[in-house]
Amino acid sequence: MLVCRQVSKSYRTERGVVTAVAGIDLDVPAGRFAAVIGRSGSGKSTLMAMIGGLSRPSAGSVEVDGTDVWHLSDNALAAFRNEKVGYVFQFASLLPTLRLIDNVALPAMLGRRQGASGTYARAAALLERMGLGGYLDAYPAEISAGEQRRAAIARALINDPALLLADEPTSDLDEQTEIEIMDVLRTVNREVGTTLVLVTHNLALAEQAQQIVHIANGAIVA
Amino acid sequence: MRLLANLALQNLGRRKARSLLLIAAVAIGSGVVFTGATLMRSIDDSMAAGFSRLGADMMVVPEGALTNITAALLTVEPTDLVLDADVLAKARIASVGRAAPQKIARVEHSGIGSHHDLVDLVGFEPAHDFTIQPWLREKLNREFRAGDVILGAGRDVPLGSQMLIFGKPHVVYGKLGRTGVGTHERGVFMSFETLEALAGAVPQHGSSRPAALAPGKVTGFLVELAPGATALQARFAILSAVKGAKVVTGDSSLSGIRQGLSALLQGILALMVLMFASMAVMVSVLFSAIITERRPELGLLKAIGARWPQIVGMMVVEAVIATGVGGVLGVTLGVLVMRLYERSLVYYLENIGVPFVWLDLPRMAAFAAAAIVLAAAIGALGAFYPAWRASRRDAYDLVRGEG
Ligand SMILES: Nc1ncnc2c1ncn2[C@@H]1O[C@H](COP(=O)(O)OP(=O)(O)O)[C@@H](O)[C@H]1O
Ligand SMILES: [Mg+2]
Repeated sequence: MLVCRQVSKSYRTERGVVTAVAGIDLDVPAGRFAAVIGRSGSGKSTLMAMIGGLSRPSAGSVEVDGTDVWHLSDNALAAFRNEKVGYVFQFASLLPTLRLIDNVALPAMLGRRQGASGTYARAAALLERMGLGGYLDAYPAEISAGEQRRAAIARALINDPALLLADEPTSDLDEQTEIEIMDVLRTVNREVGTTLVLVTHNLALAEQAQQIVHIANGAIVA
Repeated sequence: MRLLANLALQNLGRRKARSLLLIAAVAIGSGVVFTGATLMRSIDDSMAAGFSRLGADMMVVPEGALTNITAALLTVEPTDLVLDADVLAKARIASVGRAAPQKIARVEHSGIGSHHDLVDLVGFEPAHDFTIQPWLREKLNREFRAGDVILGAGRDVPLGSQMLIFGKPHVVYGKLGRTGVGTHERGVFMSFETLEALAGAVPQHGSSRPAALAPGKVTGFLVELAPGATALQARFAILSAVKGAKVVTGDSSLSGIRQGLSALLQGILALMVLMFASMAVMVSVLFSAIITERRPELGLLKAIGARWPQIVGMMVVEAVIATGVGGVLGVTLGVLVMRLYERSLVYYLENIGVPFVWLDLPRMAAFAAAAIVLAAAIGALGAFYPAWRASRRDAYDLVRGEG
């Protein structure tokens, strides 16, 4: 399902070239829950961005569902991000000027594959599932950080992605909220069969995964 | 897409003060440009009409003829002295731009007015005339032709009505505006052809029939200088080429006013171009800053699958709304200001001898539309480039606030 081959990323900075990810090979079969762990600055986010089509690797390849992601045209890459991947960021990522329902519907509206009414019904159902049924018309600023993160998960799921990428989705939340959100992600993985790659620094959480990827200094350690 | 358009609109509302400042700046810019363009065109048109109505730069008449010089126009007084109609044409004088020949016969018992009224019958060549037709205030909706007469402002006969002159029927084709010159206001104007056809009908009263009625003879010429030529050059050239003529010049201060106004208008034009240029620079600088500030959001949009035209489109729509609203506001403001200062402006211009006429409505509307479209276009262009550059960046760099 997910195949990385010698994927690398280096940044040119004023202090010289910084290698964030140095030749990672990774295989995650479909439907699996994989956890990525490692210290801060080890290259986890950079790896996730390259997998999700957000950051072009300096070298190597990423294949998702049989598509060589970084050989896609601009439009095809946009469609890939839109349809194949659901991305949950480390930080609050809802658009503050849109209602929750609009935020969740937005990826589907961008792709415009189905009619608006169907999309909005789906968005409402997803928010309902995340326990946000009462906040469809609320703006992000009107709900808590945990609720915002759940809405972001709903947005990631609106186009039924094959791959759900979550980059430390709970690092800034309290423990109780963290457990709730993890439950949601693992439920999606288990019930819908969506492949889940989760970056976390919570080892107890990582141990529940079927596969643990330990990264240090941009490379996988055994 | 509705959601993106919605986003663009909402984004404007997020920084209300900044959006309002942008709108105000664009409003001032496009208001100045619209007002400047409208005034300039109006003044220019009024001036063109006014100065062409002011008649000729000089007049060529037989030596001994009487002339009448007023601020507004040179007129030839009727006289029995005549010149050959082709003297100026034959002489080919470079400093003479246009020359309009006139025949003038002052007649009695013409059937016009009361019995003993003296009437000036003025013949002109419609194709060469530049001192009579510009004064036309109303006319029939057809070409001027043989048998038609044009009346000075002092005569009150309805358009299209029949007028007997020495028993011959003529049609009142048009009426002139007020000129303040008696002979002009009481005159009856017609083509050479029409005037010459009257020759047989004009009774001879002791003296001979007015000499100007004879074909090939004219009372004088009204002359407009060739561009760049001076009155002195023309005077010498004419006097040496045409025997028995004298040259009378008009009031030279008017051409000075005209040149002064032209320079002023050109200054306004330059100012307008600068105004738009600085507006364009300002809008693009502002939108570069706005886009820098919004990189994380643009990155997020890109991350969830927005294509670059959608991202650029959203920013451009936002800019176009702001600058378009600014443009509309500016034009509205311009109209208000022009209304407010209309009186003093018209008074001032008429004081220096330029009758002021506003630009016609369709053209003013076109200027308004152009100012608004230009303002919106500046917004579109100003936002397009920074938005396009941002949209090419990796989504991850944008999300992190880089790129
Ligand atoms: N855009 C960038 N420019 C320069 N260095 C970067 C950039 N992004 C990440 N890095 C560097 O790459 C390394 C890995 O970063 P990151 O992938 O964010 O690590 P993690 O998510 O594991 O904390 C860090 O040393 C970080 O400073
Ligand atoms: Mg990270």
